[in-house]
Amino acid sequence: MLLQNAVGDALNNTEWAFALAECVHIGGFAVGVGSIALVDFRMLNLGLRYESTGRILKYTELWTVIALLFVVFSGVALFLSQTDVYRVNPIFPLKMYVLAAALLYNFTIHRKVAKMENPPPLLNRLVASVSLLLWVAVVFGGIFTGFLV
Amino acid sequence: MDIARSIQSIDFLTAFSESVLAYPIVLSIHLACIALFGGMILATDLRLLGLTFKSLSITDVVTSLRPWKRIGGTIMIAMGLLLAASEAEKYAPNPFFWTKMIILGLIGVHALVFRPIVYSKTEELDRSPIIPTKAKVAAILSLCLWTAMFVMGRLIAYWD
Repeated sequence: MLLQNAVGDALNNTEWAFALAECVHIGGFAVGVGSIALVDFRMLNLGLRYESTGRILKYTELWTVIALLFVVFSGVALFLSQTDVYRVNPIFPLKMYVLAAALLYNFTIHRKVAKMENPPPLLNRLVASVSLLLWVAVVFGGIFTGFLV
Repeated sequence: MDIARSIQSIDFLTAFSESVLAYPIVLSIHLACIALFGGMILATDLRLLGLTFKSLSITDVVTSLRPWKRIGGTIMIAMGLLLAASEAEKYAPNPFFWTKMIILGLIGVHALVFRPIVYSKTEELDRSPIIPTKAKVAAILSLCLWTAMFVMGRLIAYWD
């Protein structure tokens, strides 16, 4: 509760803190989701074809993790600044479930298939499509949460 | 202000801004494009700087992502203009909105200047033993412009 008040107060009482947290949140997901999307586009055979999916994953995974950490921390800060509002928001818990699913999926199934030497093309396409759908759903969840605040 | 009012009074734009679902859906598409295609801009710029994707040639990165960046950019700008036009009266006096439009214009200038000497000359860049300065300048400017673009986009909501 103490932490909640400290973070919340800082965000609510500093003129640019909330805007800054939002910028970090959006910038972070642009880099985090964007780097995952590069792997997905490779799996769908839509770009970066001259390198294996495994290598593309190697190039991007550190960016993904760092950016997603920024997204999660700024997201927690934004949440703590208006806990009452989010607690009654009908979309917010949905967004959290989809986010949990997307994160779990990304670091288990998605990662495993991206690292396979010769995955069946159909499996590749399916795994990449589900990944893109999950992350786009998280973005929609975020915007709709904002509209119902 | 009159022009702004007449823009947002266009029937379909009025219907759009009054719809509970249409506005957040279009905004979500706008942001989803930032996530999906912003990563491609970043990948291109970082490759031009020699910071990542080194086992891929500059040509591979630039040309294979080009069509998707075009499609993504078109959707992103179309959705953005739709959002702005539907609330033209609110946007017209907003300095962050106009700053964002100026940056969008500068991104166009960036493309005009660097396409003929960098983005259309990727094979020449790949043949060069070190990445030429002009390519690095193009990448750094692109990163700065797109960062400013998205920060301005967020700040639009904070002006009143």
